[in-house]
Amino acid sequence: MSSFTFKKHLSRRALLRGAGITLGLPLLEAMTPAFASVKQTENAKRFVGISLALGLHNPNLVPQGTGRDYKPSRYLAGIQDLREHFTVVSGSSHPGVTGGHTAEGSIFSACPNSRGSTSRNTISLDQLMAKHLGHETRFQSLVLNTNTQTSPSYTENGAMIPAENSAMKLFTRLFVNDTAAEQERQAELIRSGRSVMDVVGVEAKSLQRELGAGDRDKLDAWFTSVRELEQRLAANEEWTHRPKPKVGLKPPTEIPRDNEVAVEGIFLDIVHLALATDSTRFITLHVTGNNVQGIEGVDESYHTLSHHGMDDEKLAQLALVEQGVINEWAGFLRKLKTDKLLDETMVLLTSNLGNASAHDNKNMPVLFAGGGFKHGQHLAFDQKDNYPLPNLYLSALQKLGLEQEQFATSSGTMSGLA
Amino acid sequence: MNRSLLFAFVAIPWCASSAESTVSGFLDQHCIDCHDPDVKKGGLDLTALTFDRLDDSTAEIWQDVFRRVRDGEMPPKKKSQPEGAERSHFLGVLKEPLLKFDAEEIASKGRVRSRRLTRTEYEHTLHDLLGIDIPLRTRLPEDQVSHGFETVADGQQLSHHQLARYLDVADLALSEAFNRALKGDQPFEKFVNPKALSKSKGGNYRGPELRNGESISWPIGVQFFGRMTETSVPEDGWYRITLKGVHGINPGTDGAVWGTLRSGECYSNAPLLFLIGLVEATAKPRDLVYEAWIEKGHMLELKPNDGTINTAPTGANGGNVSFEGRDLAKQGFEGIAHKGIELKRIHPNADQVQVRKRLFGDKNPEALKLEDLDELVMRFATQAFRRPVSAEQCEPYQQIAHHGVDEGHAPAEALRTAYRAVLCSPRFLSFIEMPGPLDDHAIASRLSYALWVSMPDEDLIQLAREKQLHDPKLLAQQVERLLKDKKADRFVKSFTDQWLKLNQIDFTTPDARQFRRFDPIVQQSMLEETRAYFAELIRGDLSVSHFVDSDFAFINGRLAKHYAGENPMEGKGADLKKDRRNKSEAPPGKNPVVFDLTPGKGLQKVPLKPEAKRGGLVTQGAILKVTADGTSTSPVVRGVFINERILGNHIPPPPPGIPAIEPDIRGATSIRDQLDKHRNNESCASCHQTIDPPGFALENYDPVGIWRSAYGQQGKGVRVDPAGVTPDGGAFRDLSDWKQIYVQHPQKLARGFARQFLTYATGAPPRFSDEAALDEIGNTTTNLRSILCQVILSDSFRTK
Repeated sequence: MSSFTFKKHLSRRALLRGAGITLGLPLLEAMTPAFASVKQTENAKRFVGISLALGLHNPNLVPQGTGRDYKPSRYLAGIQDLREHFTVVSGSSHPGVTGGHTAEGSIFSACPNSRGSTSRNTISLDQLMAKHLGHETRFQSLVLNTNTQTSPSYTENGAMIPAENSAMKLFTRLFVNDTAAEQERQAELIRSGRSVMDVVGVEAKSLQRELGAGDRDKLDAWFTSVRELEQRLAANEEWTHRPKPKVGLKPPTEIPRDNEVAVEGIFLDIVHLALATDSTRFITLHVTGNNVQGIEGVDESYHTLSHHGMDDEKLAQLALVEQGVINEWAGFLRKLKTDKLLDETMVLLTSNLGNASAHDNKNMPVLFAGGGFKHGQHLAFDQKDNYPLPNLYLSALQKLGLEQEQFATSSGTMSGLA
Repeated sequence: MNRSLLFAFVAIPWCASSAESTVSGFLDQHCIDCHDPDVKKGGLDLTALTFDRLDDSTAEIWQDVFRRVRDGEMPPKKKSQPEGAERSHFLGVLKEPLLKFDAEEIASKGRVRSRRLTRTEYEHTLHDLLGIDIPLRTRLPEDQVSHGFETVADGQQLSHHQLARYLDVADLALSEAFNRALKGDQPFEKFVNPKALSKSKGGNYRGPELRNGESISWPIGVQFFGRMTETSVPEDGWYRITLKGVHGINPGTDGAVWGTLRSGECYSNAPLLFLIGLVEATAKPRDLVYEAWIEKGHMLELKPNDGTINTAPTGANGGNVSFEGRDLAKQGFEGIAHKGIELKRIHPNADQVQVRKRLFGDKNPEALKLEDLDELVMRFATQAFRRPVSAEQCEPYQQIAHHGVDEGHAPAEALRTAYRAVLCSPRFLSFIEMPGPLDDHAIASRLSYALWVSMPDEDLIQLAREKQLHDPKLLAQQVERLLKDKKADRFVKSFTDQWLKLNQIDFTTPDARQFRRFDPIVQQSMLEETRAYFAELIRGDLSVSHFVDSDFAFINGRLAKHYAGENPMEGKGADLKKDRRNKSEAPPGKNPVVFDLTPGKGLQKVPLKPEAKRGGLVTQGAILKVTADGTSTSPVVRGVFINERILGNHIPPPPPGIPAIEPDIRGATSIRDQLDKHRNNESCASCHQTIDPPGFALENYDPVGIWRSAYGQQGKGVRVDPAGVTPDGGAFRDLSDWKQIYVQHPQKLARGFARQFLTYATGAPPRFSDEAALDEIGNTTTNLRSILCQVILSDSFRTK
């Protein structure tokens, strides 16, 4: 099997063949879609959600003017080559979502919370997509975080999916084949894991007889989890013996922990290849690192800068960091564009915080690119009475061909986005 | 269920119709004007609320109505108020069916849903069960917090991702245990002398100075200064580190030079350093001993790290450090000197013989027969499940072992797979409690996880087997025993981590320009202060009034300096590095040292004088820091924290659509002015009259817990105004006035604390029908250890 690099500009078909993706796949229960409600049309195929834990400073982000004639804002001025490929949305947020940092769990689920403490989360956008459409690839979805293991990706029963936070491990999982011995060890672990799950399933069943009605929900979660893990293990067992795609990118060896923007870049490079090799189609990346002092001109932590309190010096440094974050996002889009993947890949950049300094969850920053939508515009909604952002999520779901009528608190699809 | 309730309703002495007419009469007169379908104030339409058939959600709303009327929040103060007798009659009538409903619910489902071990509990349990000591906690997904605690079942959701982690971590833990048991421990011991410590392996030199046979570390600002290449460890593991003959050079007025001992990669892009411990180098040399988990290849870094002392120049160009041709001691810099470092691999939990015993009992792992496997699996499952296991329950696990042997695996290997299944079982990972009063084994588990954060020991299990834990007297004795045990330290840490949010101390980094004297030593000392203080309140069974005020504190020399100073907040916007060097020009602490401390003793219990402006949990640095954002303070954030965690008041979430207050650190307007605008709105005022007062009273403490009298640069901004009025109308001029108001009402604090502990220890917040028990506890005792004991003896704790 030949390895490839992007310099050679191979066709996508060739990429996938080179990646070993065209090999016939075994028909497994785990690989059939949960619902057969996918329309076969010219649709987007992928979704990447990038979320920032600390927001974006709105005055630097939101452009003057609305619609197609908007004047680029400070942050968007440098990425105007991509103007026709993204939409900037202002004045929108998730209805009923408050609580500052604790609203992180609702970024992609849009689940109304009460100060983030009691309510149970609902399924996130990426996971809903992966549930219906994630069965054909090695990974149903990838849930990533540049720093910690928290994620805004939630399962159907409201459990947070722990994020992969090591770029090295991520690269290995995607692109590095284990030795034959390691493959055998993994297979053995999976086999014994499956027999462990058999017993756990039996135990959960016997507990059903012992525990009261109040614990029924908890036991249901056990049943579901056991069943899903069994399916995953079965699929993994198959994939264990399949070669992974080879890529031209060198595995990351050092993570610049003092430069969160560069860490974001490293992750996005791998995300790009994960998409290009069709290793997965649904990805979230949560950007949470606090160290940015490695960036020229910055000498304070990211979180401290986000609490700028309107201090000029802090705002100046914050702008350096945030411009970097946006430039990395744009660089990622350019790669997808070069590979002709952008039109079928939706890429969202957002945050739970519209104003990090005041911990405000209104007026979330939203940049939405690709996926075959008509972009090149500024959708400006009311800054005081926000438009529901879940409408964008519903639009995204429908663009994948999913016959979804509603997502969280959506009131329809996003107006102005076609 | 609804049907039975309806029945219950009819069956109570006063008939349903008279109850309904009392309730509807009261509502008509006092509530319905605002809470009808048209106005629907606060989203509440009382006409749409059924009273005759309660369910979870309607009962919750009625309970809220009950509380607000009882607490005098409703009707609002500006409206006409019901007569005292009318109010209490209404409450009395409303209460009965609500209690009844609650009782029914608890009887059939229990107050608590089956909760899982938190990852902290999981780690302690596997350490105790297997005798291993490797970190497991961070390999599991973070626990979600609900009602303030990770233990609360409502917040715990299970998914196949989580289950996959349990599979992996169980495998890791068992690999460690089986490897140690079967292959033995690799000893490692090394002494690195001062000469070797100043060796460098490539890159810039950033190690200590070698002078007169001693290794000396100086306060030099470059990253990784103080690293010692020769101390790299060969394997992940626990190490005992002994710094030999440590002494301080040029110690300050507090008689010591303060430093940090940390471990890390210490090269290029890996800024992460793990704190091992604080170094208090006194004039008199002594050996200092530390124990820490160190990752393979990580080395030690030791340096003076006190933010108030002068930093020394590097003495070289290009990121190097050199001591050639200069004498930093003579130049007056503070330094930490020692005569070498001893490193020894240790196993703090159990040695190899014990680990082997825990896995194989008295069997020989090389010659295990099938019957042995059966016996061992039964024994292991019984321990792991924390209760007797029937032959039938055990069989599937034994089958796994048999199956392994059939497949040709070594018996020990087959046993390991069976153990892996045991560790993934819901019987291990969650609390198995049937509705109704808990059986003795369930009590043993609840008790042990509450106070030890781990599984019960053999003594507790024995008492459970003998069905003795039902006896309140005996249970109370066990509470005393558990609290006296070393393992109770885990409770102090785990509980304060969550209750007081100490686990969020790192969430914000104080702005380096505003708070240049804040350093890692201060932060660590603050944590230790609060934990030691809480432990002392338990140990001495002291009054909960110590939450708000006390005449003693736990302080070390570094913290004393921190607390004594008024933060001048100088040099904003100026060159940071230059400023750092010139700190001596503006010495901290206009006040003389106000704490009586002996150098070298670390954290010490000291009496507090009034001029210290300290006392109680509320003025401790850790609390003041976790309630600030690193740049500014907010009376709202602090107010909510103090109300909910200390005063026992529940603060409802803000209504939707309220804009947040934009902090302004330039000092031009005070936060009070901004808040006043907000509070002019009537619907905001009803909650903010409760929220804000403690926040205002604490405004004299800046985000790192230093006393201030004004905001802004060099204290030249608006003056702090700490005055206010409590919701009960108690006016206070400042914090000490405010404290006096609450010190006089310890019952309320006691009740609030009982509520926190009950939530933490059982995995569910108190329900409506638990309120009476909480009142009872608050009225019985206001001393801390007694409250813990009373909560554990309560029916709420001893019932599912």
